[in-house]
Amino acid sequence: MSAPPSALTAPPAARRGVVAHRIGRAVASTARLLAIFVPVFLLGTFLTYLLGHLSGRSPAYLQLGDAASPQAVAAIEHKWGLDRPFLVQYGDWLGSVLHGDLGTSWYNGLSVAHALGQRAAITLSAAGVALVLGIVFGFLLGALAAHFHTRWPDRAITTFTTVISVLPPFIVGIGLAAVFAVGLQILPAAGYVPIQAGLGPWLSHLILPAIALSFDTAADVARQLRNGLVSAYRGNYVTGAIVRGLGPRRIFFVHVLRNGIAPALAVLGLKFPNLLGGAVIIEAIFGLSGYGVYASQAAVRGDVPAVQGVLVVSVVLVVVFNLLVNIVLNRVTPDADRGV
Amino acid sequence: MIRTLLRLTSARVALVLLAIIAVVAVLGPVLAPYDPLKGGAQTLAGPSAKHWLGTDYIGRDVLSRILAGAPLSIVSTLEVAGIALALGTIPGILSVYLGSVFEWLSLRVVDTFIALPFLVFAVAMTALLGNGITQAMIVVGMLLAPVFYRVSRAATMSVARSQYVEAAAIAGASTTWIVRSHVWSKVLPSIAVTLANTLGIGLVVISSLTFLGIGIQPPTPTWGGILASDLGYLAQKPYAPVFPTLLILAAVLACNLLADAIRDAAGETGRALTGAKTARSNRTRRLAASADPSRS
Repeated sequence: MSAPPSALTAPPAARRGVVAHRIGRAVASTARLLAIFVPVFLLGTFLTYLLGHLSGRSPAYLQLGDAASPQAVAAIEHKWGLDRPFLVQYGDWLGSVLHGDLGTSWYNGLSVAHALGQRAAITLSAAGVALVLGIVFGFLLGALAAHFHTRWPDRAITTFTTVISVLPPFIVGIGLAAVFAVGLQILPAAGYVPIQAGLGPWLSHLILPAIALSFDTAADVARQLRNGLVSAYRGNYVTGAIVRGLGPRRIFFVHVLRNGIAPALAVLGLKFPNLLGGAVIIEAIFGLSGYGVYASQAAVRGDVPAVQGVLVVSVVLVVVFNLLVNIVLNRVTPDADRGV
Repeated sequence: MIRTLLRLTSARVALVLLAIIAVVAVLGPVLAPYDPLKGGAQTLAGPSAKHWLGTDYIGRDVLSRILAGAPLSIVSTLEVAGIALALGTIPGILSVYLGSVFEWLSLRVVDTFIALPFLVFAVAMTALLGNGITQAMIVVGMLLAPVFYRVSRAATMSVARSQYVEAAAIAGASTTWIVRSHVWSKVLPSIAVTLANTLGIGLVVISSLTFLGIGIQPPTPTWGGILASDLGYLAQKPYAPVFPTLLILAAVLACNLLADAIRDAAGETGRALTGAKTARSNRTRRLAASADPSRS
């Protein structure tokens, strides 16, 4: 991408001003995002903690069974610090979470952070491959639809994206497993192989779950990109570029894409929580033991710290991903340079 | 608006589909030819005259299980949508009128719910609250409420700034009166569209939860639970998931079609509900324009 001409031709002092302005813009928009996400993080963790508290679950019943004597229950609750006031417990928990300590599981006494660290590779590879597939196919379909706007490829792509966006991931997952793993037997139906064992086996275990997860993202990115590009093509600067004799490829990449990409990127930030959420059920279908399976098993057992750990990690992932999207948005769209 | 709605083919198709599903939900358990919980000697049998959709891994009749699971799946979806509607719409409309503190607080809560990974949260909350169908419905309803909040808030804000509402306020109308006579009729079409969409989403979420064994445990038949047990026997009976899948997809499709049809019938302004003559002619013109593919 070429820098705007004003920055190239301006005297050094003015140029420094442009750079400072851009940094200022990036900082300001990141700060605005943090102002939304810090309350979101606090409220989200508070709700989960309150919920765990209200559920009346306690490690005593997990360890001693339902027939435990009240004294034994009280002793264990005291050991875990559960007899303190609720807000004190929450403050304590929040403090250790900020230090990266998610507590220990009530079920087996192991560190939640450690268990999640072991599973991170599985969930993040599945969601990551799904994200890449969603971006690649979303952008291809969206750009094609915008290029053939109102002609038959556009209508075909629009129909296709509408259909795949209403298919729930677990139905797509079961369908894919039935056809490719059981029917044609060209891909494994379940399990996970670490990437160290080779790119081929790793990808062959991940591709079906990732495709099932990516449908929704691909459909939404394609739709937003199509609309963004179509309205960007109507801009006066595109007519100006054509008059100046620029080639269609240059017009598309430098002028139209950079201006029309914003809604598609924004929707990508919104879709990320869905990818993580969809992973819960996709992991169950394809026998991947990632965050989702860990969360649902822990939840059924009543292992409150483990459930809270998964929720905290997923909120953090969502926040980080949205910050990244925001930075890319600021780099790519020309509006951000002008400070609009 | 209802008459316009019924003139649209997509709305008719959607309503017929929904009527069929409603009949299945109401009469399902009565129509089921076999006991949905009782196994038989024939396991994993294919479709036959005796068992129309075959039998599952312990010989239970699949058709009976799907029919018996219909009321739970459909009724819980309806309740989820109802809870989401009540929890979202009322604060959404009130947020415009109740002052900035309530507005700020409710917006932060809504932001939080939208940023959370939906299914992870639904699974966690349901299980922590005791893993029953009531808990599942309350949780999913709560998590779906932000959509209603945003839609009703946006619609209310656009009305609240209009001149006729200002005129009514100057004329001395109370806020309650304005909400009832002006805001409500304008918000209603958007709410109806969202409700139809939410019914589809709710069914998918409830099926996902029952698929995971959360909310309702096997052997109680639900569409999600039937899918989960079919998954284990894909190698023997790879077409088994097709039947519950088709039902779920038909229901979701009907809800989406209905949502689009309501949107078309009401128009973007929502004027259609007032029934004014001009609004009706505008609507007809709009429908004619959207029916003409060369202009899209």
